[in-house]
Amino acid sequence: MNKQKKVNIKLWEKVAYISGFFSLVICFLLIVNYVQYKRIEPANTKIIDILVERLNKNPEDIELRKQIQELDLLARKAYFTNQWQVRTGAYILAIGVLILVISIQILNSSKKKEPEILLFDKNDYLNSHKSARKWVSMGGAFIVLLAMFFAFLTHNELGVKFAMAANPNSDSIFNAQNNNSENDKSNTNVLENDSSKTNTENASVNDTIIQSDTTSQEQKLSEFPSYKEIMANFPTFRGPWGNGITYKKNIPVSWNASSGKNIVWKRTIPLKGYNSPVIWGDKLFLSGASSTKRQVYCIDRNTGKTLWTADANKITGSPANSPKVTDDTGYAAPTVATDGRAVYAIFANGDVLAIDMEGKRIWARNLGTPVNHYGHSSSLMLFQNMLIVQYDHKTASKLMSLSTKTGKTLWSTPRKVKISWASPIVVYTGKQTEIMVSSDPFVASYNPFSGKELWKLDCMTGEVGPSLAYADGVVFAVNEYASLVAIQIGEKPKILWQNDEYLSDVPSPIATKKYLLIVTSYGVVVCYDSKTGEKYWEQEFANGFYSTPILVGNTVYLIDKMGGTFIFKLSDKYKQISNPQLGENVVSTPAFADGRIYIRADKNLYCIGSK
Amino acid sequence: MKKKIIFLILLILLSLQVYNALSGPRFPKPEFESGHSQPTTQSPSPRGIIFEYIDVLLLIISLSIASWLALKKRSRKGIFWLSIFSIIYFGFIREGCVCSVGSVQNIALALFNPNYKIPLTAIAFFIIPLIYTMFFGRTFCAGVCPLGALQDLFVLKPYNLKSWVQTLLGIIPFLYLGLAILYAATATDFIICRYDPFIGFFRFNASFMMFAIGGIFLLTSVFIARPYCRFFCPYGVLLNLVSRVSKRHMTITPSKCIQCKLCENSCPFGAINKPTQIKELDNQKTATKRLIKLSLIIPLLAFVGGWTGSQFHENMAKVNNKVRLASQLYFQNDTTLNINKNSIDSVEITTFETSGKPKEQLYAEAASIIDDFYYGGWIYGTFIGLVFGLSLAGLSVLKYRNDYTPNKATCFSCARCMDYCPVEPDE
Amino acid sequence: MNKSEKRKINRRDFVNSTLRLSFGIAIGSIGGILLSNTIKSKTVWQLDPAKCVQCGRCATSCVLSPSAVKCIHVYDMCGYCDLCGGYFKPETKDLTTAAENQLCPTNAISRTFIEDPFFEYHIIEELCIGCGKCVEGCGAFGNGSLQLQVSHNICVDCNQCSIARDCPADAFSRMAIEEPYTFKGFSSDDDEV
Repeated sequence: MNKQKKVNIKLWEKVAYISGFFSLVICFLLIVNYVQYKRIEPANTKIIDILVERLNKNPEDIELRKQIQELDLLARKAYFTNQWQVRTGAYILAIGVLILVISIQILNSSKKKEPEILLFDKNDYLNSHKSARKWVSMGGAFIVLLAMFFAFLTHNELGVKFAMAANPNSDSIFNAQNNNSENDKSNTNVLENDSSKTNTENASVNDTIIQSDTTSQEQKLSEFPSYKEIMANFPTFRGPWGNGITYKKNIPVSWNASSGKNIVWKRTIPLKGYNSPVIWGDKLFLSGASSTKRQVYCIDRNTGKTLWTADANKITGSPANSPKVTDDTGYAAPTVATDGRAVYAIFANGDVLAIDMEGKRIWARNLGTPVNHYGHSSSLMLFQNMLIVQYDHKTASKLMSLSTKTGKTLWSTPRKVKISWASPIVVYTGKQTEIMVSSDPFVASYNPFSGKELWKLDCMTGEVGPSLAYADGVVFAVNEYASLVAIQIGEKPKILWQNDEYLSDVPSPIATKKYLLIVTSYGVVVCYDSKTGEKYWEQEFANGFYSTPILVGNTVYLIDKMGGTFIFKLSDKYKQISNPQLGENVVSTPAFADGRIYIRADKNLYCIGSK
Repeated sequence: MKKKIIFLILLILLSLQVYNALSGPRFPKPEFESGHSQPTTQSPSPRGIIFEYIDVLLLIISLSIASWLALKKRSRKGIFWLSIFSIIYFGFIREGCVCSVGSVQNIALALFNPNYKIPLTAIAFFIIPLIYTMFFGRTFCAGVCPLGALQDLFVLKPYNLKSWVQTLLGIIPFLYLGLAILYAATATDFIICRYDPFIGFFRFNASFMMFAIGGIFLLTSVFIARPYCRFFCPYGVLLNLVSRVSKRHMTITPSKCIQCKLCENSCPFGAINKPTQIKELDNQKTATKRLIKLSLIIPLLAFVGGWTGSQFHENMAKVNNKVRLASQLYFQNDTTLNINKNSIDSVEITTFETSGKPKEQLYAEAASIIDDFYYGGWIYGTFIGLVFGLSLAGLSVLKYRNDYTPNKATCFSCARCMDYCPVEPDE
Repeated sequence: MNKSEKRKINRRDFVNSTLRLSFGIAIGSIGGILLSNTIKSKTVWQLDPAKCVQCGRCATSCVLSPSAVKCIHVYDMCGYCDLCGGYFKPETKDLTTAAENQLCPTNAISRTFIEDPFFEYHIIEELCIGCGKCVEGCGAFGNGSLQLQVSHNICVDCNQCSIARDCPADAFSRMAIEEPYTFKGFSSDDDEV
C-alpha cells in the first residue's frame, strides 16, 4: 500500500519530535495555569470584604479605597486572563497533539512492519486458561473480601435507624393506643384508670416537649398536636385516627328529647349536611352546604352559640356550578377535621380549606371537581402536620397529603380504583404508622410521609361506603355485595377469615382485640370474634342504621335512622343498657366529650349530658 | 405573531396581578417620563429538537457505513476516516451528550421509575447500535462511538496483554455496568456520565479530575490499545453479549484461512482466536469434570455475591443525596461519631431546615431508598457472582478451532487485521 | 467426521439464532415498554428561582467554567431603584460604581442612569459567573427581579446535570423545551396557594 508513496521519514520524525516536545511544554504550562485558575474563586471575596468593612468604619481613608480598587481589579484580571489562557492553551495543545498523532501514524504506516510470528507454544492455550481461572477466582475473592471489610467497618443499620426516626412518636404515642385496646375485656372503670395512666405517662413526655417549646413568654402551639391532645378531643370522623373508638368519661346513658331530659341544648344548623360534628376543647365544628353555598360552623359546645361561620367561597379553581349529587349524600357529606390549630373542610365540589380557630381562612384550594354520581363523601383525616384526603373518583383516583400549614400537596399517590365513599384511617401497627383506605377493588396501606404504597389486597367490589376498622394487627373491611374480610396486615397481607352473611353498605364496623361489630343499614347488628370470625350474637333492629357506631370505653353507642340510640356493652352477649329516643332522623355519627354526646340530627344539633 | 405578543402582554399583566395580590413588590415599577423603553429580559433558547433527530439519523447512517466498510468493503482506511468524522461530530460538535454509553442509565431509570419521562433520542441511541451489533458485530465500536474513536487514534505502540490479564480486567465492565444500573434505577446518580473520561476533551472544559482521568486513559491507550473500551465501557458489555450471536461478522480473511500466522499479532486488542492444537484436546475429560464442578459452584457463587451485595448496600446507598442528608441530620448532634462538619455539609442542613419539610418525611424517604438498595444489592451481587461463575465456566471449556478468527465478543471490527491477510478474495 | 461436524455447526447456528432472537425480543420489549413513557419533545435543565437559596454552588459545580447558570434580569419586576440591593454591598453609603461598593465580584452588572430617581441594571453575560450574590441581595432588599437561570445558549445539556446533584435546595429539574425558563413571579406555580 505504501510502496508507491515514498514517505519522508526523517521529516516526519522531526515533526513528531517537535510537536511532541511542544505539546509537552504546553501541557505543563496548561496544568500550572489550570491549577491557578481553579484556585481563584471569584465569588470568594474575603480579603476585599474585610477591607471594605474597614473602609466603612473609616470612610475618609482614600488610600484604603484605592487599595481595594486595585485588589479588585487584580483579582478580576487574574481570573479572566487565566480563563483566556487556559482556553487558548487547550486549543493549542489540541493542535499539537493532533500533529503528533498524525506524524506518528504516518511513521508507523510507512515503516515496513515484519509481521511477528511467534513459535506456537504447545501449552499456551491451556496454561493461559489455567492462570486466567486462577486470577478470576482471586479477583472475585478479593472483591468479596473488600466489600465485606467496608460493609462491616461502616455498618450502621441506617435503614432501621431512619425508619425509626421517621416515626418519632411511635414509641410513646401509638404504643399507648395499643395498650388501651388491650383493656377491652376489663370494665369501664379499669379502662378509664388505665388510659388516664398511659395518658399521664405520655403527658410527662409531651409536657416537657411543650415546655421546651414555650420557653418564650407566649404560649406557642407546637406544629401539630401530641397524642395526649388528640386523645383528649374528638378531632376527626369516628374519633381520634378515625377508628371509631374513644375513651371519654361520664357519658350519659339516658335522655329524652320530648321531655328535655338530659338535653343541655338544642339548635338548628343553617345549611344541611350529613357530616358529623368534631370537637376540640370547647369548640365544636361541622359544615353545611347547598348547591350554591358552603359553610363551616364553629359552635361553643357548652352553650350551643355560634362562635363563627366561615364561608367557603372565592376559591380559585372552584367550579362555577356544584356537581350533581343525590339527596342522600348532599353537598357536605365529608366530616371536617381539626388539630386544634385549624379546622379543615372539604365539599362536594372539591373545595378544601383551612380555617384557624378564630374563623380566619388560612388557605383554600380546589382539588379538581370530583366525578362521583352520589357526591364526594370521604372525610378528612389528619396525621401530624398532614391533611390526608382520599380522593377516589372516576377520573383520577388518588390519595393525597396536604400540608396543614399551606395546603400545598406534600404527596399524591395515584390509585387504580373505582369511586370510594369510605374514609381513611391512621394506624400505628407497632412498627410504623400507616394510612389505610378501602375501595373497589382493594384495601391498601400507605406510608404517611412519602405516600408510598406499603401493601394492598384485592378483596372489595361494589360501591364501597364503610370505612375500615383496625385492632391488633388485623384490619377489617366490609361492603355490601362484597364480603366481610379480616386482613392480617404485613408486607404480604393475608386474609384471616371472611364471611358474607351480613354486609354493610353505609355504617363502618368497630373492632377491638376480641370483638368485631358489624352494623348493617337494614338493621342487623352482628358481633364476631375478631380473631376467628366466630359469631357471638346477632340482633335485628326495626329501623336500620346509617350512623356509624362509636365505642366509648367498652360501651357501644349506635343510633338508628329514626334517632333511637342503642347503648350496649361490647361483650359475648347482647345486653342493652338503654334505648333513649331523640325523635328526629339521624344519619350522622355522634361526637363525644367528657360527659357529653353531640348528635347531629336532620335539622338540629343536640348536646346531651347532665345539666 | 401579533397574537403571541398580545398573549405575552396578557400573561405579564396577569402574573403581575398575581404577584400584586400575593404581596406586591416592595418597589413599584416606575413609569418613565423620559420615554425610556424597558429592555426585554434575555432568555436565549436552547438547541432545537430537530438536531436531536439529525443526531439519530447520523447515527444510523454512520453505523450503516461502518458495517459496510468492515464487512463488505474491508477497508481499514475507510473506518479510520469514519472515526475521524465521529470524533468531530459526535465528539466535538455534539460535545459527547447523548451518547449510547450513557443511555444505559436513562433506560434503567425509565424502567424502574415510571415518573421519569425518557427522551426518544435516548431510546434510539440505546437500541440502534444493539440492533446493528445483532446483525453485523460491534461495528459501533469500530468508528461510530466517539470515545472509542478518540482512543483508537492514540493506538501508536500497542503491546499485547497476557490473556489472563485481559480476562480478569474484562470483568470490570460488568461490575461497572451493574453499579451504573443500580445507581440509575434508584435515581441516585448517573455515574457513567460523571466519570466519562473524554467528555472534558470534547468540550474543552471540565474539572481537573476529569481531565486527569481522560489524560491517563489517552496516555495508556498509546501502549494498551483502547483501555476504556476493553476494561471499563459498560455499554460494551451489552454489545459484547449481543455480538457473540451476531448474524454476520467481520472476517480476517476474505475467503479461506491458510493458517499463515501473519495476522496472529496484528490485533492490538487481543481479539483474535488462534487455532487450537489437537493435542490440547486430550485433556477433555478433566475439563468436563471441571465443568460439572463449576456448574455446581455457579449457584453458590451467585448466592455469595448476592449476600455480599446485600451486606454492602449501606455503603452503596450513601452515595444518594437524600440518604447522605438524612445521615448528616441524624448524626449531627452525635459527638461520639467524628463526622467532619465542614461548611459544605451545613449548607445542606440549613437549607433543609429552612425548607420546612418535616424531618420524618426525609427519614422515611431515606429509609425507603436504603431498602431499595438492599434489594438492589442482592440483585447486583447475584449478577456479579453469575458473571464470575460463567466466566470461570467459559475458561474451562475447550473450543476446537481450525482457523484464525476474530473473537466475536471482543472484536471491535476495526479492520486492522485484514491488511495482514495475504489471501486474495475469490471472484 | 464430516457429517458430525456439519451437525455440530448446524447446532451452533441454531443456538446462535435462538439466542439472537431472544436478544432481539428483549431489546424490542424494552423499547416497547419505554415507548409508552417517552416524551416526544426535548427537555432541558432549569432551576426554579422560587426554590433557590443562593448557596453559590451554581458557580462552582457546573462542568463548564464559568458556569452555564447566569443571573438573568427580569426587567418587568425591577423597581429601577437608586439603592439597588443586588448592585451595592449592604452598607454602602455613596452610591457610585466604585469597586468597593459593588456586590458583584466580577463587575458583571452595569448601572445606567435613566431619569431621576431611576437606574437601570444590566447583566453582562460574559462576565457573570452565576455566584448568585446579587440575586441574594435583590431578593433580600428589593423586588427579586434578579434571578439565577440556566442560560441555554451556554448549557451543554448533560444527561445528568452536575449542579442538580450538588444543589442543596433541589431546585434543578428538567423542563420542556417549549418553556425553558422559569422566572419567579411569572410562573403558574404560585397560584396553587
